[in-house]
Amino acid sequence: MKLLKITTLSFLIASAAFASPKADMAQDMRMMLKAMQSIEGAGFYNDKETMRKGVKNLKSGLATLLSRDAKEYLPDEQAYANKFAKKSATMISMYADDLLDSLNHNKMDDALENYSLILKQCTSCHLRMRSY
Amino acid sequence: MDRRNFLKVAGTTGMLIAVSPSTIGTKLYANDGRLYTAYERVQLIDADGNPIKASALKKETNYVFNYPYRSTPALLLNLEDATQKNVTLKSEDGQEYIWKGGAGAEGKIVAYSAICSHQLAHPTPDDSFLQYVQKDKKTMSYETSGVIVCSSHLSAFDAKKGAARLSGPAAEPLASIVLEVAADDTIWAVGVLGPDKFHDYFTAFKPEFKMYYDGKRAAKKLVKISAPTVTLNEYTKEIIQY
Repeated sequence: MKLLKITTLSFLIASAAFASPKADMAQDMRMMLKAMQSIEGAGFYNDKETMRKGVKNLKSGLATLLSRDAKEYLPDEQAYANKFAKKSATMISMYADDLLDSLNHNKMDDALENYSLILKQCTSCHLRMRSY
Repeated sequence: MDRRNFLKVAGTTGMLIAVSPSTIGTKLYANDGRLYTAYERVQLIDADGNPIKASALKKETNYVFNYPYRSTPALLLNLEDATQKNVTLKSEDGQEYIWKGGAGAEGKIVAYSAICSHQLAHPTPDDSFLQYVQKDKKTMSYETSGVIVCSSHLSAFDAKKGAARLSGPAAEPLASIVLEVAADDTIWAVGVLGPDKFHDYFTAFKPEFKMYYDGKRAAKKLVKISAPTVTLNEYTKEIIQY
């Protein structure tokens, strides 16, 4: 029984350590999409708390983008553009911070402007990586 | 028509043309006032404060100075090849304007706003996705080099023809910085010709201005008297070029 527990635990740790960056990325992307939808929805109704939560989730979703070399998860033919992807992630993070700052200063206009700038960064990167 | 009436008609026409030169044609020239904006005449100086001399500019080297605003970067280039004269360019909304050619004795010195006309990529102290690619280097953005490239979305612009768009998603040229080379070989920036993106730029990069320029208000200050000019390698930590 003890052996089984140790084996299972080792397997789980190894799985976590060697998780595919592409799978992590796909999960993060879904998280960011949901976060963006919640920020937008909350923005329509001046729901600052939900917007803050959305920003927090958005920043969690940026984890893979910001912490790993984009070459690990980009499509092979776009791997060379890793620095562009990283720059997009950095810009999104910067706008997200400014969005929170705007909310904290009760500047809804600025907060929504930041939302649109985040969206622009997302689409800008997708345009390039997916060759639209 | 008597002499008095003739003078009246000639005077009125002259005044009309002086106020709005575009009334004499459909093309917009540098003094039209719509696609040209005159800013303070600013001297280009090096990092030590000495005037930059046109004859001392290295060929095909990316130099950067901020003009007309404290935060708006511009590329200065001394090209290998002659520039084309009187190039007709068009903004995205269809307005035509004339780029008159390079400055200096050989007419090979040019300057362009380094803010991409597509999605506003520009050199920052941390990185640069937009620069001139020397003729002996390669770029994915265009079939030949010796062009200005924005590596964000792979747009290319013709440095010899007023930064006309050559390829990629950009829909219009880069704006030109109008230069004067004085008799003593010093270089002066005097205005901006073409569709500048300054308004969009100031809206889009507010958080960046906090980081680099102590906020948007400081970033929007006009450059006065002189503009420090350095190579792109000195201006930014990393040049990213595809």
